[in-house]
Amino acid sequence: MTETTDLNLFVRTSEETLSGWDRERIVDAMMRETLIDHDTAAAISKDVEALIRKSGIKVVTAPLIREMVNARLIEKGLENARKMHTRLGMPIYDVDTLILHPNKENANVPHGPEATNLTLAERIKKEYALLTVFSQDVSDAHMNGDIHLHDLGFIDRPYCSGQSLEYIKKFGLDLPHSLSMAKPAKHPEVLLAHLVKFAAALQSHFAGAIGWDAVNIFFAPYLEGMSDNDVKQLAQMLIFEFSQQAVARGGQAIFTDINLYWEIPKHFVDVPAIGPGGKFMGKTYGDYEREAQRFVWKLFEVYKEGDGAGRPFFFPKPLVHITEKFFKTDGYMDFLDLISDVASDKGNTYFVFDRGETAKISECCRLSFKLDEHDLQDAKEPWRMRYCALQNVSLNLPRVAYMAEQDDTSLFNLLTERFMLAVKAHKEKRTFIERLLSAGEDGPLALLTMNRDGMPYLRMNKASHLVGMVGLNEMVQIHTGEQMHESKRALKFGLKILAHMNLLADKMQRQEGMRLVLEQTPAESTSYRFARLDMRYYSPTSGRVVKGDVASGEVYYTNSTHLNVSVPMNPIERVMNEGLFHPLIEAGSISHVWIGESQPSKGAIADFVLKTFRHTSSDQIAFSPEFTTCNKCHRTSRGLQDTCAFCGSYEVDGITRITGYFTKVSSWNKGKLGELKDRYRNGEYFAEVEEKKAAVG
Amino acid sequence: MGIVKFFYKDDCPNCPMAKKLVANLKGKDVEVLDFNVETADGLAEASFYSVKALPTIVVEDGSDNEIGEWRGIVPGMEEVLEIVSRA
Repeated sequence: MTETTDLNLFVRTSEETLSGWDRERIVDAMMRETLIDHDTAAAISKDVEALIRKSGIKVVTAPLIREMVNARLIEKGLENARKMHTRLGMPIYDVDTLILHPNKENANVPHGPEATNLTLAERIKKEYALLTVFSQDVSDAHMNGDIHLHDLGFIDRPYCSGQSLEYIKKFGLDLPHSLSMAKPAKHPEVLLAHLVKFAAALQSHFAGAIGWDAVNIFFAPYLEGMSDNDVKQLAQMLIFEFSQQAVARGGQAIFTDINLYWEIPKHFVDVPAIGPGGKFMGKTYGDYEREAQRFVWKLFEVYKEGDGAGRPFFFPKPLVHITEKFFKTDGYMDFLDLISDVASDKGNTYFVFDRGETAKISECCRLSFKLDEHDLQDAKEPWRMRYCALQNVSLNLPRVAYMAEQDDTSLFNLLTERFMLAVKAHKEKRTFIERLLSAGEDGPLALLTMNRDGMPYLRMNKASHLVGMVGLNEMVQIHTGEQMHESKRALKFGLKILAHMNLLADKMQRQEGMRLVLEQTPAESTSYRFARLDMRYYSPTSGRVVKGDVASGEVYYTNSTHLNVSVPMNPIERVMNEGLFHPLIEAGSISHVWIGESQPSKGAIADFVLKTFRHTSSDQIAFSPEFTTCNKCHRTSRGLQDTCAFCGSYEVDGITRITGYFTKVSSWNKGKLGELKDRYRNGEYFAEVEEKKAAVG
Repeated sequence: MGIVKFFYKDDCPNCPMAKKLVANLKGKDVEVLDFNVETADGLAEASFYSVKALPTIVVEDGSDNEIGEWRGIVPGMEEVLEIVSRA
């Protein structure tokens, strides 16, 4: 046997060097990465060396050697070792395509080098997650489309979160690994600067949206004595800071939700207010109602104006909370008119309904958190009010119906099985995150372990585990023969499915000691993915059930618990019927009112909002107009057009709400494009409302 | 005759009283459907009627129109019978 040193061969290593051949390195890798014994490893390394010598190649790559070792491991039946020895990555061809062509999975990420970095890293982390974080049954279920594990490429982060400005007001900006430390802000512009930096830092530790609670209320103590103009200026700065494309997560804008109130909600009225320098002001937030109102008013003035080209701001998303107290607070009608005007003109406003006595804070447009006794205690020290969801796992509901073949028992059994699988996935993700967190401020999630107030920044005991759903409408359609809008019986069946999931979540929560809640999955790409996979595995039935256009491939399932988007339904009826599902979905829901190119009066919108609050159980609504922006003359017109209404150019792009945020239509995936074509626009209803009003005089 | 829909759960404080009322109604041959909100069927039906407080009693006529309701309170027997007979 020739000595290895005789082999005149170079290896392109993964450390970007060319090394001389050394068989021992193959053995070292196997010993380090797998559990096989030294003799077997040595034998395999000799086999590989012999094969390379026989081939006569002069330069090999480390990946090639690795695959040759893997082939030998398979031959010897050492599948486990082979799995542990796997190399993750992408073919050259795919990398090339990626660098040159945009990836449409996330409409918020613009094409560019950062975006490409994001996609490449996500691919590796996804593979890693499916091979090592989740068990085989969970991974297989994800890959074949029974479930969807959201944001797999961000496996080493929690999902989304709710934050409090109070934290940086009180403690300043002193983040692990940062190059400098800032004391608590004395001026509102500095507080804003801290907020933006903190948001960016947080964004790199979460996969999804970051919601900020009661923003206008917590800014209020800093605004005393400022002129109206200066407050407007600050509002402008806040919105522009969050709306510009940043370097967060692949170059996208920081996905930010700001929660706003006209009234001071009960749980903050008596809370001591923190102001400039992080000091207590000697007053409570109840005393700052006027300043808070002034600020939120100015914010909406800026939203109404739009950006430099008159387009709606994509971020931050303003969520206005309407509680019972709203209607007892001076000036509420004028404020409602203003935010309704913005809703109609630009579409930004999210109307969140906090009915009854339950206090709620929204983390982001879908996720909300009901405050229990303990949380209400925390409200006295609002910097403690930090919440997060660790992961979202969505169920492919139509798939369950295909498999059940119209048998009720099968359907509910399968649904339960899928739910249990989701719970298993959650436990596995939680274990992984706990492992990362256990390394503390020296570990990969240092920011989330920092401790300034007696507890880690990320409060694991308050973390939620979300179970989402896609295609309830199609599930009911397959099982009963009718879509949910087609009969009371079908609608009630949909409610029964959700009730079943709600009770399961409750039961599992008590059994596992984990906060398990149902969520309305935004499903930007999931509804397309599930539809495509079901077309593959469940034709011809799926071909008759999926929505959109099968021929062009623009297929989708109806999002979460929504009714079919194409049905010409009175919007109040839609909101009312969709609202029946909302109380069953603890983590929050939304109904969309598509308005297309029409521009209802603010009075009509305000009226609609009031009706929704009083007469439905709807959690939240948003009105979505559509725009066309011209890349040539940079002007924006209403409605989705093929050419610019001003200069006639074809270089136009549409703007409207994709799921929970505004973005350019050119970045949408095929499923969402299919849904966009189908959306029923409610122009007629509002036109009739105006006519009636005019007739009554 | 109207149909009575009764929504309850096992540990709600006023439900025992409501259950007695319902038993009496059944004794008078009134059609009563019971919905335990801790079951999927019960919770689904309760969601359809936006039931937020327990016990809740809803009366419908033969065409599914709601003609009476008591939410979170227990009505008197006569009150319910009066509504039921209107259908």
